[in-house]
Amino acid sequence: MKKKNIFKSPFFKYLVQRLGQFLLVVFVGITVTFIVPRLSPTNPVEQKINQMMVSGANIHPEALESFRSAMTEMYGLEGTVWDQYRAFWGRFLRGDLGPSLSSYPVPVIDLIKKALPWTIGLMLTTTLISWFIGNLLGGLAGYFPEKRWVKWAELGATCIRPIPYYITAFILLIIFCFIIPVFPTSGAYARGVIEGFNLKFIGSVLYHTFLPALSLILVGLGGWLLGMRSLVSNIVADDFVLYAEAGGIDQNTIMKKYVIRNALLPQITGLGMSLGAVFSGALITEIVFGIPGLGQLTYRAVISFDYSLIMGVSIFSIMGVSVSVLIVDLLYPLFDPRIRLG
Amino acid sequence: MSQNVLSVEQLNAVYRTELYGIKREVKVINDISLTLKRDEVFGIAGESGSGKTTLIKLLSGTHRAPLTVLGGKVSYDFEDRDACTDVLNCSRADLDSIRWKNLSYVMQGSMNVLNPVRKIHKSFIDFAYRHMDIPDKDDFREAVVTYLAKLRLPAEILNSYPHELSGGMRQRVIIALATICNPDVIVADEPTTALDVVVQRETLNLIREIQGQQKNTVLLITHDMAVHANIADRIGIMYAGRLVEEGKTRDIFYNPSHPYTQHLIGSLPRIGDSSHKEGLKGNPPNLASPPTGCPFHPRCPRAKKECSERNPAMEMIGDEHRVACYYHGAK
Repeated sequence: MKKKNIFKSPFFKYLVQRLGQFLLVVFVGITVTFIVPRLSPTNPVEQKINQMMVSGANIHPEALESFRSAMTEMYGLEGTVWDQYRAFWGRFLRGDLGPSLSSYPVPVIDLIKKALPWTIGLMLTTTLISWFIGNLLGGLAGYFPEKRWVKWAELGATCIRPIPYYITAFILLIIFCFIIPVFPTSGAYARGVIEGFNLKFIGSVLYHTFLPALSLILVGLGGWLLGMRSLVSNIVADDFVLYAEAGGIDQNTIMKKYVIRNALLPQITGLGMSLGAVFSGALITEIVFGIPGLGQLTYRAVISFDYSLIMGVSIFSIMGVSVSVLIVDLLYPLFDPRIRLG
Repeated sequence: MSQNVLSVEQLNAVYRTELYGIKREVKVINDISLTLKRDEVFGIAGESGSGKTTLIKLLSGTHRAPLTVLGGKVSYDFEDRDACTDVLNCSRADLDSIRWKNLSYVMQGSMNVLNPVRKIHKSFIDFAYRHMDIPDKDDFREAVVTYLAKLRLPAEILNSYPHELSGGMRQRVIIALATICNPDVIVADEPTTALDVVVQRETLNLIREIQGQQKNTVLLITHDMAVHANIADRIGIMYAGRLVEEGKTRDIFYNPSHPYTQHLIGSLPRIGDSSHKEGLKGNPPNLASPPTGCPFHPRCPRAKKECSERNPAMEMIGDEHRVACYYHGAK
């Protein structure tokens, strides 16, 4: 076989094109997160000074002036917007998102690093579990629409799906923490357990995060199930499936290789999008169940005007969505040969 | 073993739908009786909505709700097994055992009948491996390659996906797929309709060639009379869910007897003939509320009172020539 020049292959071209798009999206996204807080009418430095004044501190005007310039420098607000923008990129590329304003001087990146494992652990597992179970049940439901369990599963999914998430979360909380108190009401692990890689800690985390995970799975599952069911019930009537049936191919092969295999394609794209959303955190879940993840961090940042933290979290979610969409796009040709050459 | 491979007796079928409690029945197959001999090409012609595809679905046992059989029998007599009577009522397992080994099907719309995410080779395994009696997969692949070569298809297509092939190639793959197991009966629904005339000719020659070698029975459906003239040994003409005339291709083209067939043949352009072609007045009947009597009588120039009251039965008027009309015969 003749050795192919990798740089001339269509895949390489596709890769370069796709990477270019990715960089552009990230650049535009981050630029927007840089601009938006600066359009806000409140000046964080004045805000801080006002807070201090209100709390009754008596400061000499000269000290106030030096304090103001120190704060301005710290917040990265010196010079023109253009200077700030350049300085911002310089710091960003070194992995420095600046100090948090509300928990000064802890760097934003450290706060995110601490919160991220909670969010990723919770969201990643629940997204994957609900995707898997939802598609499995939805696939079977679409393929065997007359089965009795299918009707019940559909009824369940259509009932749970439109309930707003916070209601589902609170109902679970009330049932399993107050009426039948089997699960803890709040927190990610029991008080007094030392964080670390030991059985006691892991057990405690699993026990504490079971309810929030269950609530996320319940809500996610219905959507995947209904989506997959309607995809399958369309594909079942497609020519190639009817043809396979006329060919006497065994039902198992038809279901797996002809129907489900084709129906999964849009669901794989959907999974990529949901995995991207993992990085924005589950705001309501984390607040209702007291999980110290990204969602809670964002909430805290917003109520305390912590601009650098808001920017840090936004940048993370922009990166998260872009990276997972990029990965799905690059892997998609493996699932759908029609996409293969870009 | 009789001379006939398929006999259809008084087949009646409807599309039955129920929406918000309102039941509707559309009678698409009306009392069709028909026999197919071994080693022949039988063509079925008729306009859109005359029930051609529905008939094929019934004959191949691929009908699904809302298509409902009211009565009749479709029985095959295959060489290597006891007579398989009544495909309309046999189990799925029985049907699956004759499918592709004895009875294969070329579906309408060949562009979409192959699984878009499966390589052609896999499709051959899915459809033909069970019946070929070649347990080793490499040997099986060899056999497929040899067969494809006979159909002038390169071996490389086995590693392709359907979208990578041209329309003509895809059609040839479908025909290869349908004939590789050497079935007794091949049912082909509009196998040439979506193709341009050059590819159409190639495809027809291919079907003709394979049929000549394998001596199978081909049931070919198309509305294109030119295709029938080229390939069919006998032709059946359908109108409004009924078989109105059946005969040898020569008889149908040169000696049509039913007024509908006469109009159909009369409408064909002939080289050197510049006379004005007379169109049929009116529209094909609505099968949800068909006219009484003969379904053709509202458009028939020869219709008499009797035609609107009773439906004429098929009657033998010559050698293998049947027609359903009270006033049949030359113009």
